[in-house]
Amino acid sequence: MSAPPLVAQGLGKRFRRRDWALRDLMLTIPKGGIVGLAGPNAAGKSTLLSLAAGLLAPSEGSIEVFGRNPLQAPEVLAEVGYVAQGAPLYRSFRVADTLEYARRTNPRWDTEIAIELLTHIDSRAKVGALSAGERARLALALALGKRPRLVLLDEPFASLDPLAGRELLQLLMDGVAELGATVIVASHVVADIQRVCDHIVLLSSGCVRLEGDVEELLDSHRLLTGPRRPLGSIRGVREIVRERYSGRQQTLLAITDGPIADPSWTVDPVSLEELLLAYMAPERLPTPRRAEGIPLRWHG
Amino acid sequence: MAWVTWRQHRAHAFGALGLLVALAVAAVLTHLPIASAFGHDSLSACLPSAPRTGCDIIVPHFESEFSGLVTATRVMAVLPLLAGLFVGAPLIARELEFGTYRFAWTQGVSRRHWLLSKTALLAVGTLVAAGAASLLVMWWRSPFDQLEGRIGPSGFDIEGIVVPAYALFALALGVLAGLVFRRTVAAMTATLVAFGATRALVADFVRPHFVAPLHRVIAAPSTSAVPGDWVLSNTLVNAGGQRVTAGNEELAVLHAQQAGIDPHTYILTLGWKRIVSYQPAGRFWTFQLFEAGLFVALAVALILVTLWLVRRTPV
Repeated sequence: MSAPPLVAQGLGKRFRRRDWALRDLMLTIPKGGIVGLAGPNAAGKSTLLSLAAGLLAPSEGSIEVFGRNPLQAPEVLAEVGYVAQGAPLYRSFRVADTLEYARRTNPRWDTEIAIELLTHIDSRAKVGALSAGERARLALALALGKRPRLVLLDEPFASLDPLAGRELLQLLMDGVAELGATVIVASHVVADIQRVCDHIVLLSSGCVRLEGDVEELLDSHRLLTGPRRPLGSIRGVREIVRERYSGRQQTLLAITDGPIADPSWTVDPVSLEELLLAYMAPERLPTPRRAEGIPLRWHG
Repeated sequence: MAWVTWRQHRAHAFGALGLLVALAVAAVLTHLPIASAFGHDSLSACLPSAPRTGCDIIVPHFESEFSGLVTATRVMAVLPLLAGLFVGAPLIARELEFGTYRFAWTQGVSRRHWLLSKTALLAVGTLVAAGAASLLVMWWRSPFDQLEGRIGPSGFDIEGIVVPAYALFALALGVLAGLVFRRTVAAMTATLVAFGATRALVADFVRPHFVAPLHRVIAAPSTSAVPGDWVLSNTLVNAGGQRVTAGNEELAVLHAQQAGIDPHTYILTLGWKRIVSYQPAGRFWTFQLFEAGLFVALAVALILVTLWLVRRTPV
């Protein structure tokens, strides 16, 4: 029971002769909370979730869900609520049939949880006739009705308007709070997840670029604005992630390890979106190294 | 999984039932004139076991009257294929095509369990439906079987226990093709080709050798074998036992005609004989057992391969 929800070790996945979708991934998702899996399109987010759901086999390395390989020990999937991108379901089934399917195939199934998420959806409606928002809700209800210990959501908001997205997010939050499950939400739109994530994993080109607790990440990063000048070492700055110039001004996104004493710098907090975009940019990647005492890991 | 299988395949069940009812109606309607002709002509007296004089007139008349219908029943040979095309091939291919495998294969039931349960239940349904169709054909054909026998391909292929065995094989073939080709149409095509090829190969090259064929030597001019037997080959040999080619036979006949002798008598005086190689009618059920066993074994092998592959399949 003490095994973490998800552990990837040297995980790599390659499709046929194409490039690596994931390469040499080291990742441990701690128990509890909501993990945002961010990254641009084709970063390997869906591949990672498919591997965790036992739909794919790793090309190299290993992935474990609660200490078990989801392909070798598929019974672990009874504890995983996975919603694939686009929420594929049987279109000819009625909503009630779909719930019945889940009830018959999941030992821990709880219809009450699912029904709660399906208010205002007619159980006799055909799945094919539901709106995108309703279908996403049904898929979420199916995932949470399993009383999972790990929930994997692949771009759940992709086809939803902002209102429906917000509603779905609220349902997710409520459901998860009740279950005490760990949730991994993959999304390429940072705004979707930044409101709710406790922990963030940024994937880009099949590698983890940044991983850490959201608050700690925001605490340790600052935006420094000041007149343009050659950069020496700045007291309180451990590493500069990104430099940007506009006219005579320059803006630095920096990892700080103390207060910035120099009064010529204006110091501002950074938003999660800005932070993630800075780390996504391939041209300004920090040199891979691990800092002592800072709960933040880079894999460049 | 029983409920899941029923929910996803009940349309197939109703389709099969509808098809069987339609077949039964057609069978009964077409069988009425056959039964009455069979009764009136007192053809039963002409069965191979008790041939009487005059039968050589009655039997061909009866046969020619219904030959069109008998030929039509040979269509029943494709019936088992339907299980492979419409039930087997889409089983996995449709899930892969529509992405629903991402739902089905991430529930608390493993892929193998999912596939094994579905295949087992569908196999039972297929066997029952094919068995019913086979019984129907056997009933309809019984007058012809009594006159002509049923060990020949025209009866053997659509009667008895081989029909459910073929259907099971087609089903297993379709499921595997769906997993390999990942597209319903491609899987259906592959099923069609592989089923047809296997059936033809077995019927032409394996079935004749289930049990060593019998031989019968008959006087050269007569070509008729005992009705009811499955004649594999019919060779003309000379007095020394060597094969007479068709060219030589023609030459002999021509020679007799020019000399003004009856060709039949001439060939007899030459000492030519016919050697007929055949499988006797009495081996029908033995052959059915062999052939059904072969196809059931093939089906089981295909299912095992599919079960092994489905876990390894990257999707």
